[in-house]
Amino acid sequence: MKITQIKFWQLLSVLALTILLFSSSYAQREQWYGALTYSVSVPAGDTKDIIEDIGWWGLGLDYRYMVQKNLSVGLYFGWNTMYEKVTGLTELNTDPPGAIYGTQENTINSFPIMASIHYYFGERKQLRPYIGLNAGGSVMLQRKAIGIYLWDNDQWQWGVAPEVGVAIPVERDFGLLINGKYNMYFSGEDAIGNDVNNAYWAINVGFVWEP
Amino acid sequence: MRKTTLSLIIFIAAAIFILQSCYPGDELTYSDTDIVATFYDKDADFSNYDTYIMSDTIYTFDDESQSLIPNDDISLTNKTTILNGIESNLENIGFNSTSNPSDADVVIAVVVTSSTWVGGGCYYGYWYYWYPYYSWCYPVYYTYDTGTIIIAMIDRSVTEERPGLWIATINGLLSDASTELQSRINQNIDQAFSQSPYLGEGK
Repeated sequence: MKITQIKFWQLLSVLALTILLFSSSYAQREQWYGALTYSVSVPAGDTKDIIEDIGWWGLGLDYRYMVQKNLSVGLYFGWNTMYEKVTGLTELNTDPPGAIYGTQENTINSFPIMASIHYYFGERKQLRPYIGLNAGGSVMLQRKAIGIYLWDNDQWQWGVAPEVGVAIPVERDFGLLINGKYNMYFSGEDAIGNDVNNAYWAINVGFVWEP
Repeated sequence: MRKTTLSLIIFIAAAIFILQSCYPGDELTYSDTDIVATFYDKDADFSNYDTYIMSDTIYTFDDESQSLIPNDDISLTNKTTILNGIESNLENIGFNSTSNPSDADVVIAVVVTSSTWVGGGCYYGYWYYWYPYYSWCYPVYYTYDTGTIIIAMIDRSVTEERPGLWIATINGLLSDASTELQSRINQNIDQAFSQSPYLGEGK
């Protein structure tokens, strides 16, 4: 566990701008498209035991390359924030063991970075439902603050995110994107060092643009 | 650069600006800082302990001598509330009080910090005449506010420095001057015992 707050939003902004610049330069090839979405996080699995509230702050970035008419490979970047303030008891599996009762603030910032593959139904320039799988992991910034006590645990967690969604064309090279990604991570610890398998739904709504 | 791409860049910049706080958080109210932390010796068998002795003195840490000295700053009301609260909880879970040190399985030491205290380390107390050896160690390192109540349960038969059998820390409580203080003391002492059900094992 370490007490370091990393400004990942800076990293995310660089990634976003880089992707958009590539988008412009590759526009003529008509093989790429990108998506920027607002992301809502719904805790699930072990994460729900830590934070029950829905996280209303988040971003998703997708960049996909069409390898076939109905198949793309690409990259997925995200930022999902979950936060909850509750009063209760936290058991500490530390040495010595113990427990802390008080008002606690739990925060998780998840930054998934994954490779993706998607299969699209229907025809290009039409409403296109799709299914996909993202695989990689996430940088997890996890914090538990109970009054004066503070635990930070920032770590990389491996995981996958199955996805279903739909792309809705609006203009020739522009459309809307709605999808749901079930982010689930195979290994990791929570803020105080207990083993957890973090999981959450990322419900994303945003724009898709294509050449 | 096409209009679509340009507008998306602006959108991203705005979104990042809005979302840049990794840790949103709220302002903590005074009661939010009421914290009860308890730690225990994982090797202890609490069914072996059922008689306690507790001094009617409340101590504080003396940084220079690394020992406990009587805390003269506590009002009689607060002192009585604290000691009565501990006593009634101990008896509720099956401990018996004794005034004879040689009959006691455990010694209960009560400390209220009179300055900001970096927890951790070992301390001697003025009750060492209750023999054989009553140095004990606080097992966790944190910084505690002035007015923190610490309740230490020490194995009377131990002859070496070691963490208390059970330690309860109620952070910064006595720095509050409000009229609700007495009920908060009682509430938090009750909480310390209720989150430590192992203390009552075998009684």
